[in-house]
Amino acid sequence: MVQGVNTITGTAAALDGDVELMLRVREGDEESFGVLLEKYRSPVIRFVYRMVQDQAISEELGQEVFLRVYRSRASYEPTAKFTTWLFRIATHLALNWLRDGRSERGHQRLDDEGDGEMPVREVADRRPSVEQRMVYQTRLQEVRDAIALLPEKQRAAVLMHKYEEMEYAQIAQVLECSESAVKSLVFRAYETLRARLAHMTRV
Amino acid sequence: MNCPLKRVETTDLLLEYSARRLDASRAAALGRHVEACAECSAFLAGQRAVWDALDEWEAPPVSMDFNRRLWQRIDRAAELPWYRGLFEALRTANWKPVFPMAAAVLVIAGGFLLDHRGERAVTPNAATPGVSIIEADQLDQTLDDIQLLRQLDSVAPSGSAKTM
Repeated sequence: MVQGVNTITGTAAALDGDVELMLRVREGDEESFGVLLEKYRSPVIRFVYRMVQDQAISEELGQEVFLRVYRSRASYEPTAKFTTWLFRIATHLALNWLRDGRSERGHQRLDDEGDGEMPVREVADRRPSVEQRMVYQTRLQEVRDAIALLPEKQRAAVLMHKYEEMEYAQIAQVLECSESAVKSLVFRAYETLRARLAHMTRV
Repeated sequence: MNCPLKRVETTDLLLEYSARRLDASRAAALGRHVEACAECSAFLAGQRAVWDALDEWEAPPVSMDFNRRLWQRIDRAAELPWYRGLFEALRTANWKPVFPMAAAVLVIAGGFLLDHRGERAVTPNAATPGVSIIEADQLDQTLDDIQLLRQLDSVAPSGSAKTM
């Protein structure tokens, strides 16, 4: 199971800690920025990666996210959870990239990337056979396609819900819509995924 | 317990239940319902299969030099003179919301110009009365010329008859 942002920031103390760190960054403390970067680099890039489905682009956009956080430090006001603000920036960048149609160029590179490697944990203590790898690659591609075919907002909502384990209220703040709208987005996204990935249950 | 699938407002309960994110008391109550409800059982089976499939999709690890590259960019940005920094900020800014506003300004400006086009056409004439005076003089001159030609035309045949 992938560790989500809410498993990292589940307690109120951790939440206050993030805001506290960002306030220190506002005062010019670069070390605190380093702490936040270390803590949220992976969740942000993971989320962007699943949105755009391109490793190089996800890192490029990830850099832009943290660069914007750093640039906006002087005007930072703790009006929401730090992760809400962070994921709002990440979501905007990813959605803009997708809407600009730049994803079409990126998709041509998908198969060339090494990100579809079968995880070692899948095969216990021996290397996967060619057949196992092919089955895994096929299943993985189906999952990626099913996610990629979701409308952008549904995609963002379901990725934050599933992988980052965010609450509906927080997803609503990130996407700047109502909580009931997010529930509807998530429900419809899973409905579509159940229909598209149903055959995988029979394997 | 009412079936959560029967009401839109409660469908998320099943998602949270299958993700094991419900508190113990609500999870126990829903668990008892699911055992007796074929529809909810089928929904949960499908949802768990989706989550199992999604769990297989792991994101690749972040590059080792991600932080170094980021700090380099931050340092470069700090070394830039203020106007370059401003240019950079403008370059990377999200301009999409500005485009509809710019289009609206253009439409309004265009409408204003069209609306005042008549005034603009009249104004130069009013401001340069000499042009209309010259035109009137030319017209008078032309009319005089035509009249003279007509007179010559009417005189010429009788003159030629007398000479014959």
